[in-house]
Amino acid sequence: MDKPLTAEELDLIRRLQEGENPDAGYDPYEPTVEWFTGKGKEEIMPLSAAPEPKRRWVPSKWEKQKVMKIVRAIRQGRIVPNKPKTASDKPQFYNVWGEEPANQPPPPPAPKPRLPTHAESYNPPEEYLPTEEEKKQWEETEKEDREREFLPQKYSALRLVPAYNQFIQERFQRQLDLYLAPRVTRTKLQIDPNSLIPKLPSPSSLKPFPVYKSLEVAHDKGRTRSVSISPDGTWAASGDENGVVNMWEVVVGKVVKSWKFKGKVGAVEWCPRTDVCFLVVATEEQLHFLIPPNLPTSILVATQAVLAPSQLPPAPATPSPVKWQSTSAAASTSDSAILIISLPSNSGLPRQVAWHRRGDYLATVASGEGQGGVWIHQISRRHSQAPFKKVKGTVQSVLFHPTKPHFFVATQRYVRIYNLAEQKLLKTLQPGIRWISSMDVHPLGDHLIVGGYDRKLCWFDLELSDKPYKILRYHSRAIRSLHFHPTYPLFASSSDDGSIQVFHARVYNDLMTDPLIVPLKILRGHQVREGLGVLQIKWVPKQSWLVSAGADGQVAVWCS
Amino acid sequence: MGRLHKKGQAGAAKAYVTRTAAIKKLQCSLADFRRLCILKGIFPREPRHRKRANKGSSAPTSFYYAKDIAYLAHEPVLAKLREHKAFAKKLARALGRGEWSSAKSLEEQKPSYRLDHIIKERYPTFVDAVRDIDDALCMIFLFASLPSTAKVSPSLVENCARLAAEWQLYVMHTHSLRKAFLSIKGVYYQAEVFDQTVTWLVPYQFTQTIPSDVDVRVMLTFLELYQTMLGFVFFKLYTDAGLVYPPPLDTKKDESGAGVGAFSLQEAKPAAEVLTVKKVKEVEVEGKRISAKDVRQTIKSIAGQTAGDNDIEMQDGTDNAADEADEEFVAHPSHSNPEETAALPTLKTLASLPQSKTSQLFSPYTFWLSRETSRPIFEFLVRSFGGRIGWPATSGSNSPFEEDDESITHVIIDRPLVVKENETEEERERRRRRKYVQPQWVVDCINAGRILLEEPYAQGNTLPPHLSPFEGRADAYDPTLGVSVDDAEMDDEEEEAASEAEAEDEEAAPEKAALMAAAAAKDAAALRAAELEAEAAGVDFGVFEKEARKARKKVHVAEDTEEPTEEDMNKMMMSNKQRKLYERMKHGEKKRSSERQNLEQKRKQLEKEKKRQAKS
Repeated sequence: MDKPLTAEELDLIRRLQEGENPDAGYDPYEPTVEWFTGKGKEEIMPLSAAPEPKRRWVPSKWEKQKVMKIVRAIRQGRIVPNKPKTASDKPQFYNVWGEEPANQPPPPPAPKPRLPTHAESYNPPEEYLPTEEEKKQWEETEKEDREREFLPQKYSALRLVPAYNQFIQERFQRQLDLYLAPRVTRTKLQIDPNSLIPKLPSPSSLKPFPVYKSLEVAHDKGRTRSVSISPDGTWAASGDENGVVNMWEVVVGKVVKSWKFKGKVGAVEWCPRTDVCFLVVATEEQLHFLIPPNLPTSILVATQAVLAPSQLPPAPATPSPVKWQSTSAAASTSDSAILIISLPSNSGLPRQVAWHRRGDYLATVASGEGQGGVWIHQISRRHSQAPFKKVKGTVQSVLFHPTKPHFFVATQRYVRIYNLAEQKLLKTLQPGIRWISSMDVHPLGDHLIVGGYDRKLCWFDLELSDKPYKILRYHSRAIRSLHFHPTYPLFASSSDDGSIQVFHARVYNDLMTDPLIVPLKILRGHQVREGLGVLQIKWVPKQSWLVSAGADGQVAVWCS
Repeated sequence: MGRLHKKGQAGAAKAYVTRTAAIKKLQCSLADFRRLCILKGIFPREPRHRKRANKGSSAPTSFYYAKDIAYLAHEPVLAKLREHKAFAKKLARALGRGEWSSAKSLEEQKPSYRLDHIIKERYPTFVDAVRDIDDALCMIFLFASLPSTAKVSPSLVENCARLAAEWQLYVMHTHSLRKAFLSIKGVYYQAEVFDQTVTWLVPYQFTQTIPSDVDVRVMLTFLELYQTMLGFVFFKLYTDAGLVYPPPLDTKKDESGAGVGAFSLQEAKPAAEVLTVKKVKEVEVEGKRISAKDVRQTIKSIAGQTAGDNDIEMQDGTDNAADEADEEFVAHPSHSNPEETAALPTLKTLASLPQSKTSQLFSPYTFWLSRETSRPIFEFLVRSFGGRIGWPATSGSNSPFEEDDESITHVIIDRPLVVKENETEEERERRRRRKYVQPQWVVDCINAGRILLEEPYAQGNTLPPHLSPFEGRADAYDPTLGVSVDDAEMDDEEEEAASEAEAEDEEAAPEKAALMAAAAAKDAAALRAAELEAEAAGVDFGVFEKEARKARKKVHVAEDTEEPTEEDMNKMMMSNKQRKLYERMKHGEKKRSSERQNLEQKRKQLEKEKKRQAKS
C-alpha cells in the first residue's frame, strides 16, 4: 500500500530537514511594530517627583581630597610629571665580567658549524666540479638527504660570483638547531679501528690444522648427508640420500665396499669400540648394523659375538615396540646387515645416531612424533627404551657426556642436560638461538658448542653459567654441523654457505683461565646445491684431518 | 620489607618534562616560552628511554630537563613578559576607548627587560663568551646588509651595522685576523681573539630579502641576545685594548659612505685630560677644525711612509713603550751548571714570535682598489695585515690617498685586460711601476702567510684554484699534491695497451688466443705452456712477457681481495658492540676514501684530457 506524499507534505519534510520553520506561511522578517518607543512616544514626565539631590550639583569632597593628595605629592617631588624616558640608571654596556665568576660550570657550548672545504671555494680545483650525473643526482635527492647543501661552482673572477640564495635559510636552520635540537656531549673516539680487533696468536703458530683438500670421493647422485670415520682413523663411511653407503680408505679415497638401501640414509656411525668393528646405518625406521669386509678373524668373531650372540639375553618384562632381528653369525656376510633394529612405525628417518663412548649404548633421534623420537638402545641387552615420555619441543640432537652419565638433549630453543643415573634434569642451557641445528661436547666434557640455523655458534662453559660464554656469528648461512677433534685442540663448523671454519680451541684445566678460541682457516671447496652446503663434518681421530660431506654429493678429505 | 615504589615518582619520569607540560607550568604562551629558551640557552634533551620519560607514551615530543624549567620559572625576564602581557591588554583597551592620552602615558611606561644577567649566567667568564660569538657575528653581518622592512626596523639594521664595524675595527686594530676564504656563500674570516678562533661568514654585497619560509621572529629574538652579548664583549675587548667604547661615529662621513672609516678609535684617557688636550690642540684653520691627529697624518703622508692608518700607528708606539717598560727577565746561571743559562720566554720574546710577522704581512705595500672590487672586503683584509689602501670616490669617501699617489705598489683589479689606446706617458709610467693583481692574490697571500708571486694572479690571467685554509683532515684529498707516480705509469701502460689493441685489432686470432692463455696462466707450468703456444702462433716475446706480467698483477690484486687475512678472521671474535663500532668507523673511513678516490679519478681524467689537447 503506497501512499504518495503530497507536495505540501514533501515541502514540510524539506523544511524540517533544513531546520527551517515548518510553517510555510511564517515570515521571520516582519517589520517591527513599535508600541512603546519611537517617534511621538517619548516619556515626558519623570518617574518620581522627588527634588534633585544636592550632591548632583555640589563638587565632590572626596574627589577634591584625592586630587589634593596628588597635588601635594607633585609639590613635594614624589611624583614627577612627564618624566624623561631613560632606560635605567645603569649604562647600556659595562664590564659584566668584572666581578668573580660564579663557580657553577658554564652550560655546554653549542657545537660550532662545520668549516668550509675546498669544494665551497668560488674557484675550486676542477676535480671538485660535479659531473652531469652527480648534478642530476643532487637535484633529485631531497633537501634533507643531500650530502652537501650546495653544488660546487667555478667562477673565473670574483666579480662574477652572485649572491648565495640560501644564505638566510641556512642561518635560520642553524638557529633552529641551536634552540630546538637536543644536544648530547659525546667523547669522540680517537682510536684506530684496527685496535678493536682482538689480538690472537697467529694461526701459523698453531699448526697442524687442515689447509687443503687432498681427495674427494663422489657419490653419483644425491646429497651425502652423513659421514663417519672408524675409531682407528683408517676407514670412512659415507651415506647419501639415494640409499648408498660407501666405505673407503681415508688416505687413498678408494671405495672398497658399497651397500645399497631402500630410501634415504639418515646417519652413518662407526662403533667407537676398538675390539670390535662395525657401523650403524640409519634408514627409514630401521637401524642396520654392518660389518666391514676383510676384518681380521679375531675381530670378526668378536663383532659377530656382540651383534648376534648365540645366546640371546632374556627378553625384557614389558614388550618393547622396537624389534631386534639378527642373522646368525654363520650366515652373516658383509653384504647385508647382521642386526636390524626396527623402530616403531611412524617414527620416520633417524637423523642422528649418537654412540656412548663405551660403545654399548647408542641413541637415535628420529624426525617422527612420539617420545620426541629419541630412543636409547643397549646392544648387550638387546633392549631399547625411550628415555622421555614427553619432551617440550622437537628434539634436534642428543649427545652422551664423554665422562659422566649425563645426556644432552637439544630441542629447538634449549639444551637440557639430564643425569641418566639419577633420572633427573640437571640444567637447561639458553643459547638464544632461534633454531638449534647441531651441538658437540668437548672431549673433556666441560664445554659445549651449539650451532643454529640462524648462523650463530654458542660456546658454553658448563661450569660457568647457562648462558653462552661466547657467541660467534661468522657464517653467512645456517650452521649445519659442528665437531670437536677428539685429541687435538681443534673444532670445526660447516655451513650452508659451502664453507668450513676451523678453529683452535684451547681449554685450560684451571677454572680461572678462559678458553682460547682462535679462528684458523676457512676451507672452501664444496658447491652449494639448492641452498644446502656442507652437511656434515668429522675429524679423523689420530690426525688433524677433516672429512666433510656436502650437498653436492662430494665427500672431501682436508689435510694439514 | 622495603618501601613500595610508585611508578612515575623517580628517575626519568621526574627528570624530564615535555614541552607542553613546561608551558603549562610556566603559565606562558608558546611564543614566550620559545623566547625564553632562546635567551636562556635552554634546549631539549634526549632521554635515554623516551617511554619512561613520558609515562609510557611513545608519542613524538620534545623533552626538557625539569630542573631547567624550574630555573626558568624564577627568571626575571619571565616576570617582565607577564608584565608586558598586562601592558598590552591595557594599551589595547585604552586605544579601543580612544583614550589617547592614557595610551600615551602607558606607552611611556612600557615594561622592558635587560639581558645583562643572562649574559653573565650563560658566559661566566669572558673567554666563554668569545668562544661563542661565531654565530652572533654571522647574524650581525647578515642583518647589517639587509634592507629595512616592516619587521626589520631601520634602527636594528643600523645597530647591526655599527656592531659589525666595531668588530672589524677591533680586528684591524689588533691585527688578529688569521685566515680568509672566498667561498660561493660569502667570505669566511677567521680571527684569533683571546686564544679563541672566531670564524664568521659575511655575505657578498647584494641586497638580500628574507624569504617567506623563514620565521623572522625567531631570528629577531636571537638578534636581541646577540646584540647585547656583542655589546658587552666589545666593551671588554675595547677597554682591554685601551680604547674608548663605543667608538664615536662621524655622521657626515657615514652618510658619504665611509663605512668603517666613519668610526674613529680613541684611546681611553681620564675624561678631564681629554678635554684639556682637545682645547689646547685644536686650532681653527679656514673655518675647519684641525686636530693634532690631522696634522700628524698630513706629515706622515708627505713623508710617504707605508705603515697603516693613524690610529694603529699610535697604538704601535705605545706598545713599544710598554714593552720597554716591561721588566726584563734576568737569567741567573745555576751553581751546578754555570754554562747553561735558563732561556725562559719573557713576555717580550713571546710577543716577538713569528705570528706577529705574518700579521704585518702587507705593511710594506700600498694598495689601490679598482672600482669593481668590493671595498669592505679588501679594506678589511689589507688593513688587518698592516697594509695601506685607497679607493676611488665611487666606492665611498674618505680614501686616504688618490689614484695618482706615488706610493701605490699594487692595484687590485678584477676586470679583463683591455689595451688602452690613448694613454699618456705619465699613465704608462705609472702602469709600469705598479703591479696589477686580481683580488684572489690578497686572500691567497694571507692564507699562505707570505707574499706570493704576482705573476699567476696578474690582470687577465686564468687564476690558480682558490683553496680553503680550513681543510683539516689528514686523510682528505689534497689538490696541491701531484698524481702519484706509479699510478700514472700504470695508466700510461693501460693507455698504450688500449691504443695497441685499437691498432692491431685486425691481427690474427691465434695470437690473441695465446695471449689470452698467458693472461689466464696461474702457475709456472701453465705459463710455460702458454709461452710455447704463443711462440707457435708467432707472437713477439716482448709482447708476451708484458701480457703475462699484467696478468700476474691482476691475479695478485684478485688474490688480495679474495683470501681472508688473519685480521679478517680475528674480526669474528669481536663482540657485537665492538663489531658495530668497528663497522661504523670503517664505514666512515671507506666513505672518505671513496670520495678521495673519486676526486683523484676526476683529476687524472682532466690531466689526461689536457695532455691530449696539448698533443693535438
